[in-house]
Amino acid sequence: MKRIFIDQEKCDGCKNCSFACMQAHRQTPGTVYDLDLLDPKNEARHSIVTNGKGGYVPVFCRHCAVPDCAGACMSGALKKDPETGHIQYDEKRCGTCFMCVMSCPYGNIKPDRVSRTKILKCDFCVNDKEEPNCVKSCPKKAIHVEEVVWEAAV
Amino acid sequence: MKHLIIGVGAAGISAARTILKEKPEDSVVLVSQDEEVYSRCMLHKLISGERDAAGLNFVNDGLLEHKNLEWIKGKTVTRLEAATKSVYAGDEKIASGDTILIATGANSVTPPIGELRTAKNAFGLRHLPDARGIASCAKNAKEVVIIGAGLVGLDAAYALLELGKKLTIIEMAPTVLAINLDAHAAAAYQKLFEDKGVVFHLARKVVNTRGDGRGNITAVELDNGSLIPCDMVVMAVGVRPAIGFLEGSGIKTERAIVVDDYLESSEPGIYAAGDVAGFSGVWPNAQKQGEIAAYNMCGTKWIYDDRFAIKNTVNFFGLLSLSVGAINPADGDEVLVKEDRLNYRKLILRGGVPMGIILQGEIGGSGFWLHLIKNKMRIDNRGKSVWKVSYADFYGTQQNGEYKWVV
Repeated sequence: MKRIFIDQEKCDGCKNCSFACMQAHRQTPGTVYDLDLLDPKNEARHSIVTNGKGGYVPVFCRHCAVPDCAGACMSGALKKDPETGHIQYDEKRCGTCFMCVMSCPYGNIKPDRVSRTKILKCDFCVNDKEEPNCVKSCPKKAIHVEEVVWEAAV
Repeated sequence: MKHLIIGVGAAGISAARTILKEKPEDSVVLVSQDEEVYSRCMLHKLISGERDAAGLNFVNDGLLEHKNLEWIKGKTVTRLEAATKSVYAGDEKIASGDTILIATGANSVTPPIGELRTAKNAFGLRHLPDARGIASCAKNAKEVVIIGAGLVGLDAAYALLELGKKLTIIEMAPTVLAINLDAHAAAAYQKLFEDKGVVFHLARKVVNTRGDGRGNITAVELDNGSLIPCDMVVMAVGVRPAIGFLEGSGIKTERAIVVDDYLESSEPGIYAAGDVAGFSGVWPNAQKQGEIAAYNMCGTKWIYDDRFAIKNTVNFFGLLSLSVGAINPADGDEVLVKEDRLNYRKLILRGGVPMGIILQGEIGGSGFWLHLIKNKMRIDNRGKSVWKVSYADFYGTQQNGEYKWVV
């Protein structure tokens, strides 16, 4: 499966990745230049945290080999895709219990702030043929995609 | 090898999936009282009419159609013979296996009070037939009494409000959601329900019922003498592991099945997972136990060590809460509280280690608290306010790109 690898030292906190994520998941048409950064509907799926020493910690979803989020899901909305290995979310199945939010040890899942009836999580830009938009947008090459071994399920 | 799994809840299904992944040549026989696979956490959505039974199915892959899986549904196991690893419904032998996983879950407790156990209009809320019974009875009911204001009781209340019923909720504890939240966080939910017209009687017990002489309860009597008229009663006062059929099987039970670190019972080759294993009934743990039992049934020794289960999330009317660990402090604990119009946050610290957290309002990205609390990780020495601590403070990556915790 493909995973976003993080070179923490290279991140200078520019948040181009966050804008790219917001732009990729916005529901309205338009370009990144007219993206409303204050609209909670456009929230990014990852976080860039300052480390207090002038550096930054990029926290992106790992699409874990043993995903605690999907293990906590009582509706079947979260599922590790048997082909790509990515954890995908089916909004229609979701029972909005938010146990996944509690169970991701890295804090990578959040309830949608506006509707409170779905979650926001990284979908690896599943609808884009190229690599995820965050990766494409990073000017420092602090994140890149690598193939990792993962055993497919049933 | 043939593996027999009794029960199609979180533990049984995850075990079946894991076995067929680990040992594609092995076969799995699922035996269940349930005729359908459904998520118990969503039964209230059937009552409210939001979803049909198919909409409660949590199996999201082709597991049940797997060529090496046979599902015998609608059979209630009444006896287990450990020596031959066989299960029976009455005199009929249903199935046998080289290993057995008992994942029969739990049944709701019915208090031995008045006609609660026998009345036609009194229901628990645990199985799909319960939810169907409530939905059907609700068609002709105007006033409903719910006994118990825990998550299940309030789920039932939420659904019955959707149907426009007049509700009275009776709870022994002085607050709603007493197992999950402190009094302050619980009061926020109580108010939301009261705003919809629900009447609560807290710190009260039901001591008797009145009936119409034809098997229907018409009122419940409280310990202060008051009478609450009703056309239907929903009991949500807890569950008991479904282990009655193990009597005489030789499998050691206490309140639940006694298992070792590998989730194996006193009888070799017979395992238990989920509510019947007696740890705690939260979904993520039941699912994980099913997985671990499955590995052990396949011969890969896995220890079940992630037993921490004092955790839950609550969502009613869009007000979200997350609660992990202690909800109230012990002597000497430090309690930090932050509150604004939309949020209530309470953190209990002991020697710099988080013992419990309640977040109400915004809970996004807060999953790291569970890891910090269950692993007793110190957070007061990270050079910042404990409210600013997150996984980023313990950040590290492995060669395969997965994260690790660096202290």
